[in-house]
Amino acid sequence: MVHALEEIRRVLVPNGILIDLRPLADNWRVEVVSLREIKRTGRVEDLPEQTNGDLASNEAMKEVEKRSWFKREQDELFPFFYSWDTPSEMEEFVDDDWSDFVGMEEDTRRATRAAWAVADGDSRVRVRVEIWIARWRKMNTNLEL
Amino acid sequence: MSLQKDPDHNEIKHLHKFVDSTDKRVLEIGCGEGRLTWQYAKDAHSVIAIDLDRDSLRVARVDRPSDLEKQIHFANANSEYLPFSKEKFDIAILAWSL
Repeated sequence: MVHALEEIRRVLVPNGILIDLRPLADNWRVEVVSLREIKRTGRVEDLPEQTNGDLASNEAMKEVEKRSWFKREQDELFPFFYSWDTPSEMEEFVDDDWSDFVGMEEDTRRATRAAWAVADGDSRVRVRVEIWIARWRKMNTNLEL
Repeated sequence: MSLQKDPDHNEIKHLHKFVDSTDKRVLEIGCGEGRLTWQYAKDAHSVIAIDLDRDSLRVARVDRPSDLEKQIHFANANSEYLPFSKEKFDIAILAWSL
């Protein structure tokens, strides 16, 4: 990762900007949502690979900051939703597309189906993912040369 | 499949809040099928979007809006060895890829 960041630094102009945009593994909430209410029904289970990936990314950014390659100017968390019409469509997606890095326990599946079954007609099912965005400025130093 | 990704457009709102890509040369790393690329590329001077996954790039090339054909170029490249000369870009975006 640090080598990739070194490469990015190389191709950026002086004072160029690096945007780091990525989902954080922790606490992906499952919700049944309608115009009237949001009901939390559980959470997606993180697999260790995903959590370790976050840690490695954070360590890489710490390292480049330490080397004075980039300076962090601004950062923020915001929600990103994956939304489906029905719980079964959500489960199919989680099982087919996310099985390598997250899982969903049976309790959460059951609670989501139950909440959706009695919810308003406009209800959808969604997973709320926390996204981290940070702006880094390329620092003009020759320390690493 | 009824999947909607980011129906509130939070991602592009935050990207615009953090960086102005107007007339800038942008490198996007991890573009995938171009979901984010289409949303900011219109105002950029040029975008080079790279990904390791050839299938995703194939989809991105097919889906690329016709009015962005001259602005966006895709490449199968690894961020560890960027095939570009130094100081070529104003902005680099690590899109879900660090």
